[in-house]
Amino acid sequence: MEEEQEVEDFEEEGEVTREIVVPGETLTEDVKNFYPGRGAIFNKEKTKIISLSIGLKQVRKNYMNVIPLRGFYTPRAGDKILGVVIDKNPVKYKLDINAKDLGMLKPKNTITRDKRSMGRGGRGGGRGRPGDRNSSNELSTARFNIGDVLIVKVLSADRLNSPELTTVGKYLGKKMGGSVISIGPQSIPRVIGRSGSMIKLLKNLTNCTIFVTQNGRIWIKGESIETERLLIEAINKIANEAHTVGLTDRIQEFLETELKKRGLK
Amino acid sequence: MPLVIKDEYPEKLFREDGKRLDGRDKLELRPIKMEVGVLNNADGSAYLEWGNNKIFAAVYGPREVHPHHLAKPDRGILRVFYRMTTFSVFERKRPAPGRREKEISMIIADCLEPVLFLELYPGTSFEVFIEVIDADGGTRCASTTVAALALADAGIPMKSLVTSLAIGKIDGELVVDLSGIEDKAGEADLPCAITWYNDQLSLLQFDGDMTLEEMNLSLDLAKNALKEIYEKQLNALKSKYIAIQEETLKQQENSTSGGEE
Repeated sequence: MEEEQEVEDFEEEGEVTREIVVPGETLTEDVKNFYPGRGAIFNKEKTKIISLSIGLKQVRKNYMNVIPLRGFYTPRAGDKILGVVIDKNPVKYKLDINAKDLGMLKPKNTITRDKRSMGRGGRGGGRGRPGDRNSSNELSTARFNIGDVLIVKVLSADRLNSPELTTVGKYLGKKMGGSVISIGPQSIPRVIGRSGSMIKLLKNLTNCTIFVTQNGRIWIKGESIETERLLIEAINKIANEAHTVGLTDRIQEFLETELKKRGLK
Repeated sequence: MPLVIKDEYPEKLFREDGKRLDGRDKLELRPIKMEVGVLNNADGSAYLEWGNNKIFAAVYGPREVHPHHLAKPDRGILRVFYRMTTFSVFERKRPAPGRREKEISMIIADCLEPVLFLELYPGTSFEVFIEVIDADGGTRCASTTVAALALADAGIPMKSLVTSLAIGKIDGELVVDLSGIEDKAGEADLPCAITWYNDQLSLLQFDGDMTLEEMNLSLDLAKNALKEIYEKQLNALKSKYIAIQEETLKQQENSTSGGEE
């Protein structure tokens, strides 16, 4: 069973007001007691703190934050994301990762070097034995094909260069079957919920395997197409109502009534 | 309502009762309707109806720059594509972008750039596509206003919104928000835009005759009218989310009261 990775919690400590702010709106004029946090800056004269994007105002300790409701995905090292192979050449795969640049996946980052293969390599002359999977695949891009759906981790990312990816790690690698849905990356924390409550609810009620990734894509695989469809509806509902209170309860109610109505239970 | 544009302009731009041809007072704006998130496949979008103007704006980005040589290694670029549909004006407009469209694209890009943090996205571009479906005077101002909304809807970090409006002089009197006929037959036209984070003008064009006093006065008039439009912009951005919030609250109240019964 796949588990979602830890994601910065949407409403962990600190009160999220349900106040919607837009770019340029004053969050506070009390600049002595508050600092601008995420999504906020001082104005030029430092007389007030203003919001940078459309979102929910949050006060955490003495920081003024804005939790954005809309936005794009920026890769960061350590993110687990879902990519689709759209191009490959003998030295690397190029993945569409819903970001500004394509992700680069090099073959050396797709194979595990366990102790045994390391030992064999160290002996010298052990390489290239016919039928040896590790050595034959070592530096070629035969492993994945164009169109494959991969869960990858970002090794390094910055503003200028294409992010480098790896498939080595827990839960990473090619995904077979299932379907991928795409929602706004800003709504992802809501799909996971406070310490994973929402995703547990979705898994328990629909018996689907869900993998939520940070670039706004969700891979799901259910027992039947009907439950998958219901799950997609529920996830879209979460994304649409990401800024409201009592979302988990409402989704539970929605799923239970819909399961009964559709005769899936 | 069909839009009737006569080839000949009327001699007087004020009616006998002192109002303008479309029944407005001197300082009255045309009715404005704004909406965000109207296009599904754009990263951000907005729609604006301003009098008889009907304008869509779509924002994409940050994304790669094509052609690649336009990319700047130290900062992102903002590109604006202002286009008018062939049926947007009285006489068919040729679809190829002309001198006027290129100019307006440029001034809108220059006007919006100060509110964005382009230095945070080197080598990328933000693209704003503005499509004028129906035009009746003041489309450059309306386009700037709707483009700012679409940028905010895309979640691109911005210092503030931008609002724009034209002040004019018709029959020797200063009026706010020129319509198509007033623009063509009037004496002066002064489009201006304001960035709200520093309350400064980001666009100022001028065409016609005006004294210095009139110019100062018209900028004051503009500021008041711009505030009115700004409120509508804020409302358009927020109302989409507030509506969902209220609806869910209502649902919750219903379900809890239903449970008690």
